[in-house]
Amino acid sequence: MKALAVAALAVIGVIVVIEVGPGDRALGAARPYEGTTVRAVVNAEYVKYSLSLIENDLYDKLGIKLETEVIPLDAFVAKTLLEFNGGRSPWDLIMFGGTFMPDYGRHFEPLENWVGKLKLDFYLDDIPDVYKKLFLKYNGKLVGMPYDGDVHMMFWNKVAFERPDNRKRFKAKYGYELAPPRTFRQWDDQAEFFHGWGWDGSDNKLFGAGASYKGNLYSYYWWRQRLFAYGGQYFDADMKPLINSPAAVRALEEMVRTMPYYPPGVLLFESEEPKTMLVKGEVPMLYSWTSTGKRVGNPAESVIATKAGFGVVPGAEIDGKLVQRPALTPGRGMAVSAYSQKKEATMKVLEFISNPDQSLKIVMDPKTIMDPWRLSHFRSEKFRKAFPGADEYLDAIEKTFLHVVPDPILPGANEYMRKLSFELTEALAKRKSPKEALDTAAVEWDKITDRRGRDKQKALWGEKMGEMKQLGIEYRPDWAAKAK
Amino acid sequence: MSVAARETALVTARRTNRYRAQRWAADGLTYLGLAAALVFFLGPFFWIVTTSLKGNEDYFSFPPAWIPSSPSLAHYGRLFTRSSGLRYFGNSLLVSTLSMLAALVVSLPTAYSIARWRFGGGLLSTVLLVLRMLPAIALIIPVYLMYKTLGLTNSYLGLIIIYTVVYIPFAVWLLVGFLRDFPVEIEEAALIDGCSRLGALLRVVVPIIAPGLAVVALFAFIATWNEFLFAVVLTGIETKTMMVLVTSFTSGGTDMFYGEASASVVLGVLPAFLVAFLLQRYLVKGLALGGTKG
Repeated sequence: MKALAVAALAVIGVIVVIEVGPGDRALGAARPYEGTTVRAVVNAEYVKYSLSLIENDLYDKLGIKLETEVIPLDAFVAKTLLEFNGGRSPWDLIMFGGTFMPDYGRHFEPLENWVGKLKLDFYLDDIPDVYKKLFLKYNGKLVGMPYDGDVHMMFWNKVAFERPDNRKRFKAKYGYELAPPRTFRQWDDQAEFFHGWGWDGSDNKLFGAGASYKGNLYSYYWWRQRLFAYGGQYFDADMKPLINSPAAVRALEEMVRTMPYYPPGVLLFESEEPKTMLVKGEVPMLYSWTSTGKRVGNPAESVIATKAGFGVVPGAEIDGKLVQRPALTPGRGMAVSAYSQKKEATMKVLEFISNPDQSLKIVMDPKTIMDPWRLSHFRSEKFRKAFPGADEYLDAIEKTFLHVVPDPILPGANEYMRKLSFELTEALAKRKSPKEALDTAAVEWDKITDRRGRDKQKALWGEKMGEMKQLGIEYRPDWAAKAK
Repeated sequence: MSVAARETALVTARRTNRYRAQRWAADGLTYLGLAAALVFFLGPFFWIVTTSLKGNEDYFSFPPAWIPSSPSLAHYGRLFTRSSGLRYFGNSLLVSTLSMLAALVVSLPTAYSIARWRFGGGLLSTVLLVLRMLPAIALIIPVYLMYKTLGLTNSYLGLIIIYTVVYIPFAVWLLVGFLRDFPVEIEEAALIDGCSRLGALLRVVVPIIAPGLAVVALFAFIATWNEFLFAVVLTGIETKTMMVLVTSFTSGGTDMFYGEASASVVLGVLPAFLVAFLLQRYLVKGLALGGTKG
């Protein structure tokens, strides 16, 4: 009887070992943080969705679960800074805009502290220089990783530019060949030319070009590519605003003059409206965020999926040389909260979501508007075959990164940009003259600077100007008159 | 019939016909105007509802797909599962209902004391109205700091307290109007019959001014349901409300999530719409009741 009991226990033991033993132990070893939940905060549902793409892999590899809170975009900066400035944070992993690093940086855990300790690899050689130099460091220390490569590029409908009749008519009117614009002068000519008729061969009245001119930052993004192409800058070395300089006024005057060639409602357009008009074949060209390309290449939605062109945003010809200054906008990065109680696990999450394979999964998904940001994303064979023209699209993004200009990366950047954007839209709506609007914006900028502490802002701006100079961006007052 | 009489009859008939034609034309124009207004105001909502039932292929189809080719509740499903929609919907329902009840419970005795005994002189009702005029944005930082210290952020209690406090002035102001309209003689008769003050209030006054209370309840519910600022600042992942979810879909671009964004809007407005629809009978009666005296 005793032997029988021992045998029974032995059998039960074997069964238990088979059922839950080695397999789970092995898995346990593969999931070193089993039972840990990392709390992330992001600014839109589609960003939460993008994280869901890697959640299963993250759990399988590290045993970490992600719990993601969404704070709507318009309230995101205020709400997150309110929490941080109270010296606490309910989140471990924080999404941030690179432009706002001076406001956020002190609340982030430096990555270097953990790289050696946890043997982390962030593949820094695989990241464009502009990010490493301008967006990811605070007080000289690396504190974040990119998540969404937010730059502007140009898209066009090849039909508009290749129809023989269009080419003939354009040359007769403007005296040069119709081709995707390289300068804003060409862009404006073409917007005028295409506006109001069926440039695709139809009888429809189509529009000259697409844009987003809403006064909640959009008009600013669209304006500043001209500003910098004409040699403009945000401030001089003494923190005097240069946003009402001749280059700035010229840029805005051109936009006001060409307003009739854009779709009605452009003053209220945010990012999605002109993208939709492009993919529906209603505008022949648009410059916007690179994620537009994934919509352009999606045949279920896009009538130009096989007829789209991709390139760098136009610029200006200065002394025979082309100067292009596409916008590098705040984008999205990810960082570890300095107040997190789970820093080690969160560092592992940050490494995981930004590694080349996982981040590729995120930026390739057509349902996210997360843009490619690693050099390996641009060169990924898989991505380059994802839709017709994807290779041209990725090449254009890589080229764009060589020319991009950031926002004014200063404390209060959001305030500066919003005040300016509001005034730009006032001018575009013809409620003020361009000069008057920009003078008002300059006064507002001075007020912000004084409120934030002029000396402190000046010192920080001095650093940023130096970094921008290294990238070839500096104030050139003589360009405003010579830019062609 | 004489010629004159016949002519008079003819003229009368002609006038009648002209009058009828004019009335038909006027009615026709009125209905046309109403139909246009209906399309103008309900058209966008119709589009949102149908978009929430459409598949991805229908969003951009041309000519537009007014009715989805294969309607589905998939977006609602994803809203509930992936975006914690069920939790936030439940949060909104809970917070709106409890704030509404709390506002009623506090406002009724306050309004009663002001209406019957001019409690606080003329000052209290004026101060209450001035409090109502204070924009929420002016309060948000101090409220946040106070809540942080008291540990009330990310809690249902915190939300219910702030909504109740914010809504009380308007509720009191509205109820004072209803109570002043209420004939005091009926109340006095109840007191003579042996009712206490509280008994008279609860057994006699409340049933008669019920439409007025319904108006207050309705406004409190809708205001709380639609509130965004306090909801976004004072909540955390567990206590977010439906309006925050709606805004997180619709602010900063929806990208390809048009279906989920539309579903969130539908769910965001539906309860308030239903409550208003169910209480509309009382709403009209209640507004008329409080409208005769200020």
